Amino acid sequence: MIPREDEPMTDAQRKGAVLPVAKDPGDAILEFLRLAVASELADAVILPMKVPSGDSYAWILMNDVSLMDDAVPIAAAMPVQGAKALRSLTRKSPGNLTVIAVMRPCEIRAAVELVKLGQVHADNLILATYDCPGAVQLQKYVDDPEGSEEHFSRMLQSGKPDNTAKPVCHYCEEFSMFDSDLHFGYLGLSEKEVLVIPGSDKGSELLAGLGLDPARDLSDWEKGIDSLKVERETARKSAFEETGEQLRGFSGMLSVFANCIGCHNCQSACPICYCRLCYFDSETAQQDPDALITAAAKRGGISLPEDRIMFHVGRMTHMSLSCVSCGQCTDACPVSIPVAGAFSYVADRTQRTFEYKAGRNDGDPLPLRQFRKSELPGIHELVKNAESEGPSHE
Amino acid sequence: MKKEFTPRITSFLCKWCSYTGADLAGTARLQYPTSIIPIQVMCSSRVDPVFLIKAFLSGSDGVLIGGCHPGDCHYETGNYHARRRFAIVMGVFDSLGLESQRLKLSWISASEGPKFARVANEYTEEIMALGENPTRKSIFL
Repeated sequence: MIPREDEPMTDAQRKGAVLPVAKDPGDAILEFLRLAVASELADAVILPMKVPSGDSYAWILMNDVSLMDDAVPIAAAMPVQGAKALRSLTRKSPGNLTVIAVMRPCEIRAAVELVKLGQVHADNLILATYDCPGAVQLQKYVDDPEGSEEHFSRMLQSGKPDNTAKPVCHYCEEFSMFDSDLHFGYLGLSEKEVLVIPGSDKGSELLAGLGLDPARDLSDWEKGIDSLKVERETARKSAFEETGEQLRGFSGMLSVFANCIGCHNCQSACPICYCRLCYFDSETAQQDPDALITAAAKRGGISLPEDRIMFHVGRMTHMSLSCVSCGQCTDACPVSIPVAGAFSYVADRTQRTFEYKAGRNDGDPLPLRQFRKSELPGIHELVKNAESEGPSHE
Repeated sequence: MKKEFTPRITSFLCKWCSYTGADLAGTARLQYPTSIIPIQVMCSSRVDPVFLIKAFLSGSDGVLIGGCHPGDCHYETGNYHARRRFAIVMGVFDSLGLESQRLKLSWISASEGPKFARVANEYTEEIMALGENPTRKSIFL
């Protein structure tokens, strides 16, 4: 997938191949994967499968085609971010197996960020996405798997998240991904077909190998996606306004994050936070007891353990440039802090500073890996008239 | 009698330029306020965003990063990276509605003693106009 040296196809040139649908879009995807493995164009696939207790899903790397009968390509919930599964498989090297992974767009976008961070080696991976209607909140799913499945099948039909979906899904604009190697599109189409759209040479080669001809025009599908996108954009605007208002100032920050219990679950569920030892878990980050006593004396008192607000603000500076707004942090929070809402809002702004969009596969390196000699005007303008005198070294 | 507010400005100064500039201001007997608390770092890019946040949440009324002028970095490109990191912290502070005016980045070379003194004076005035950092009194951190 990365690096892509040739010119990317323009949207107008894109076409898709039609897959027949027997039961539902997930079924059509499975049939496609069975064919790919049977024709030896892929060695294995990574798909979600229900855990034995039936109240959650797990990522399974499957070589055995018969295992696919129990797989659910479009799963209702996302307990583990798929990018983490890809990292565990390819963190050291690309390996020599060709593996097709079918994941939500936010999972693939996180994987793209991990590729840039050197944590996923995607050379032998074929990353496939589908039109994602949203994911059911993990707690809701675990509490009531059957009810949640019903909710999700309705979401799948309409393409719209309902009140059981994660809050960030309601205003996700990247729910359909053109940038992956393959994309399975079904929204806006008749129930009898799914489009498989190649997004890279790897994807095109796979389709050619399977004898599938991407000849179908995408306009029907695009119309369906665009109308949903407009709704999501409106929702995004109002959600960000609300979040911005809530977070305003130090008191706003406290109102959202003061009930943090310091478990750092948000960080361990985050696909971007791959560091084996996070700074905030390290001994260096622990304050000296004497310093705490001094601080308490100055302020009249201090909350213990220390630095819970700093953890969140610090994490925003450390990972917000790569945040893909997948919402795993909110799912992982035991005290229901809307972590993802806040991070998504901040990430939107920090990424815009560098005209960067996390998860886009356009060969853009991470903003912190590069610089321009002349950029960010005004950021170091200290005091009025300060730059006018004295020797200039620029 | 009301005690006059003296700000505390935690200042991360690069060893090669700004810290030496501060030294020069001292040896030239230029006056600058005691609000500046200098911390020497090997390069402005040594300053992790967390340093700024930590200083801010610990009650510093202002945080200053001093580095070499662009193109003059002892390590060639450190200050360019520092500028990008600083931009992230500014972005986070602005979106959270925290007072980003309390964070400053300035390029001060080793020969710019007068500039250091002026920056210190003017920044202190600016912070005095802003008043005390509200986090200084918070017991929830």
